Amino acid sequence: MGLFAPWFLAGLAALAVPFYVHLLRRHTTNPRPFSSLMFFERRTQSSIKHRRLRYLLLLSLRALLFALLVLAFANPFINRTAANMSGEKLLLLVIDDSFSMRAGTRLADARREALAVLDSRPAGNRSQIMALGSQLQALTQPSLDGGALRAAIDSLQPGDSRANYGELSRAVRSLSGAVPTPIELHFFSDTQKSAMPASFSELALPGNVSLVLHPVAKDSTRNWTVESVNAPGQVWDPKKTRVQAVVAGFGTPAATRTVSLMVNGKTAATKTVDVPANGRATVEFQSLDVPYGFTRCEVRIDSADGFAADDVSQFAVERSDPRRALFVSDAADSRSPLYFKSALASAEQAAFTLDTVSAGQASSMPLSKYAFVVLSDLISVPASLETELLRYVQAGGSVWIAEGAAAAHAARIPVFGGNVLDSHDYARTGDRYLNAGESDPSFPSLENMDRWSGVKFYFAVKVDPGDARVVARLADQTPLLIEKKMGEGKVLLFTSGLDNITNDFPLHPVFVPFVQQTALYLSGTQRRSGSRTVDSFLELRNSKEQSVGVEVTDPDGRRPLSLKEATTAQTYQLTRAGFYELKLASGRQDVVGVNPDRRESNLEVIPDETLSLWRGNSGTGEQQAAAQGATQEQTRPYSLWWYIMFLVFAAALAESLLADRYLVAPQQEDL
Amino acid sequence: MLQRFLDPSVLAGISGLDLVAKTVVDGFVAGLHRSPDFGFSQEFAEYRAYTPGDDLRHVDWNVFARTERAYLKRYRGETNSILTVLLDASNSMKFTSHSVTKMDYARFTAASLFYLAIHNQRDAAGLIVFDDEIRSYIRPSTRQGQLHRLLAGLEQAEPRARTDFAKPLDHFQQFLRRRGMVIFISDFYDSPEHIVRTIEPLRFHGNEVVLFHVLDPKEIRPEFREPTTLVDLETQDRIEITPEYVRDEYQKKFDAHVEALRDKTKGAGMDYHLLTTDRPLDDALREYLSIRQGRD
Repeated sequence: MGLFAPWFLAGLAALAVPFYVHLLRRHTTNPRPFSSLMFFERRTQSSIKHRRLRYLLLLSLRALLFALLVLAFANPFINRTAANMSGEKLLLLVIDDSFSMRAGTRLADARREALAVLDSRPAGNRSQIMALGSQLQALTQPSLDGGALRAAIDSLQPGDSRANYGELSRAVRSLSGAVPTPIELHFFSDTQKSAMPASFSELALPGNVSLVLHPVAKDSTRNWTVESVNAPGQVWDPKKTRVQAVVAGFGTPAATRTVSLMVNGKTAATKTVDVPANGRATVEFQSLDVPYGFTRCEVRIDSADGFAADDVSQFAVERSDPRRALFVSDAADSRSPLYFKSALASAEQAAFTLDTVSAGQASSMPLSKYAFVVLSDLISVPASLETELLRYVQAGGSVWIAEGAAAAHAARIPVFGGNVLDSHDYARTGDRYLNAGESDPSFPSLENMDRWSGVKFYFAVKVDPGDARVVARLADQTPLLIEKKMGEGKVLLFTSGLDNITNDFPLHPVFVPFVQQTALYLSGTQRRSGSRTVDSFLELRNSKEQSVGVEVTDPDGRRPLSLKEATTAQTYQLTRAGFYELKLASGRQDVVGVNPDRRESNLEVIPDETLSLWRGNSGTGEQQAAAQGATQEQTRPYSLWWYIMFLVFAAALAESLLADRYLVAPQQEDL
Repeated sequence: MLQRFLDPSVLAGISGLDLVAKTVVDGFVAGLHRSPDFGFSQEFAEYRAYTPGDDLRHVDWNVFARTERAYLKRYRGETNSILTVLLDASNSMKFTSHSVTKMDYARFTAASLFYLAIHNQRDAAGLIVFDDEIRSYIRPSTRQGQLHRLLAGLEQAEPRARTDFAKPLDHFQQFLRRRGMVIFISDFYDSPEHIVRTIEPLRFHGNEVVLFHVLDPKEIRPEFREPTTLVDLETQDRIEITPEYVRDEYQKKFDAHVEALRDKTKGAGMDYHLLTTDRPLDDALREYLSIRQGRD
């Protein structure tokens, strides 16, 4: 018994009020006139009797009313054992259905143990079945219906998500606040070490939850898996396409594994690899001969372990022809086309064929057939060409402008539109050159900006970016790379040249991936890897593509999005392993291979000491279950406020009735 | 039905003492017509045999002529009388437990007596209003307008001060010339010995003295349910009383007081009538007529 707000007990001083009303105030009642007092005598007895408390029952009720009111404000509570609060507890059965539960008979064992616990539950206790994947999912509501509970357990299928025990604890903490009864949590899992959260404190459970662990994997199991596959999303030249796969062993001895590259279900290549003990080995396939369009590929190993589900890694590739790009430069400029073309050609796959022309020639060429156009350090741009370029960009094309020394005399940047504020010839200053400064790493071609540190920029024009996006700057904050959206297309301005005069960028290796990635970005054919991880989110549309229908087909061939979701969903969570077919809001079609998180392949179990800590004591699970089954020692404060308010109401009602009876009568009383 | 108009609570709703008095007396007289025992005015009463010494003017000579026997013819109300009402107007007369105060009741009674005396009996009537002094004095008379003067005197008699019988009676005796009927209307909160001793001299002058003891019912039987502080209306003294005391001691003392007053007034040859303010007024009127008949 305690009080939430004991300082309100000071209000008990108000108990003096009813005593005052009944004793003192009655003493000072108005005297009554009488004809003559000649027959009365003053007696001490009279005075004493006069001071006697009147209406003792009414006084008691009023004092009780005040005391209850004060008590209500003080908000008393009693500490009740959780078991006594309602005489029952919620039996919460959580079964781990993460990807690792596919190993051996783990899920079947977990279901069997869950059914056994369900059968041995005390009568009258409600039970609830949940499944733990990436999130805790309720399979039933708290129920006494044993049939429904058993059916939920029987119907549980293994998932592809990665378990997170921290998520389990968080969800149970939230649940315990909403459930008034104590919770007895039975967790059936392979107690995978990789499912532990980063901090052990995230596993903490509230006081009214008792955890009983049912490990279905007694010790760690060796397992080989295809940990990752590095394959391009797009294929332009099958002969030059490389596929790398990493084979990992967890708790495994050194062994030789056979790795197969499968294309559309057929084995395209097979290799053997020596995997060291508890280590990794890389396998590379030198070509990926796939037909045009999307192809479903996978890398498979013969692991010969008890976890076959992780012996394959799926990915999808799209094969297409190289696209054409237009490089416009002055006839006297032979360096920049050379470096640019060399950079594109040195790519692993030739995604583009480059046409190099002068400004005059470009004026008469149809631009729409080019994936993008490069204007490299043009002294002047013919008006007709600029008009065509603007039209081209508005229609969705991309233009890459590089401003070399020739731009120092120009007042404005063609197509881009910005005025040239200044030109910096750093070779004439004391520093002689500047390095690249800060950059926006989210820009696709600037992912490796840290490798630009050795690049020396001798010349750059200073341009007012206006509302354009500055994605890279020089060390003196001069914008180096500016992107401007125009209509449906975009213009990228490089404020230095693509030759080795205004900078030595083309002489650095980083120039090649920069050119390639920028070209892919500008052409709009950039495609991310054709594989994803289970529980990752797929972006279905961007901000400009609202109310456009999308289509998602899951590995089972079903369309999981409803009609409304198909027009409004921004993202889609990939919950199953396999190939998903997508029709995005942009109109593009795509196929992605989805693989489970490979941390699930590490079947190392949590040490018993850690499990004991999680349970909250050092005993075994059975001992703990027995102890918790005997008596629940956890107590919770139980507020008595509502009960007291009910008594206040009853006392007030009784006081009103009694006072009405007592106090009306004297008013009618005559002498 | 007419008796209803003698109810004090009904009379309290009538404005004007003249109307009250007329209502009371007319109702009273109408009731008397059904009574074989009472008559008044110049009505024939009886024949009585002549005895030596009787006034020969009262001999009915017609009867003597027929029977040769002398009889005296007697009439009722054939003589005029003097009615003097002494009205106590002390503060104690303000007390009431219902719609009629003792003072109102006393005024109704006095007014009714005056109306009956002057209008029906053609008696002279006078009024003395007193507390511890003579507050007003209207000399008994049969003159025109005497009834209105008396009623006006009653209207102006508002209770105040304390009661003192001695001083007004001394004053009254100075004006007493003829014998008559003296009616005291008071609550008589004094010792019976002192009251009788003070009033008794009037009797020695040959007056018929009647004490109308006006009391409120709750003075006779007070009801208290809780200890209460009482204030004396005349002295403003305060005293705390308990219901138990009122129920036991007070009742005994009050009953003894009334009994003693009744005994001592009877013993002194005076009449005593206890009038409670919840009773009709005919008791007082009946007493008046009874006494007046006895004087004839």
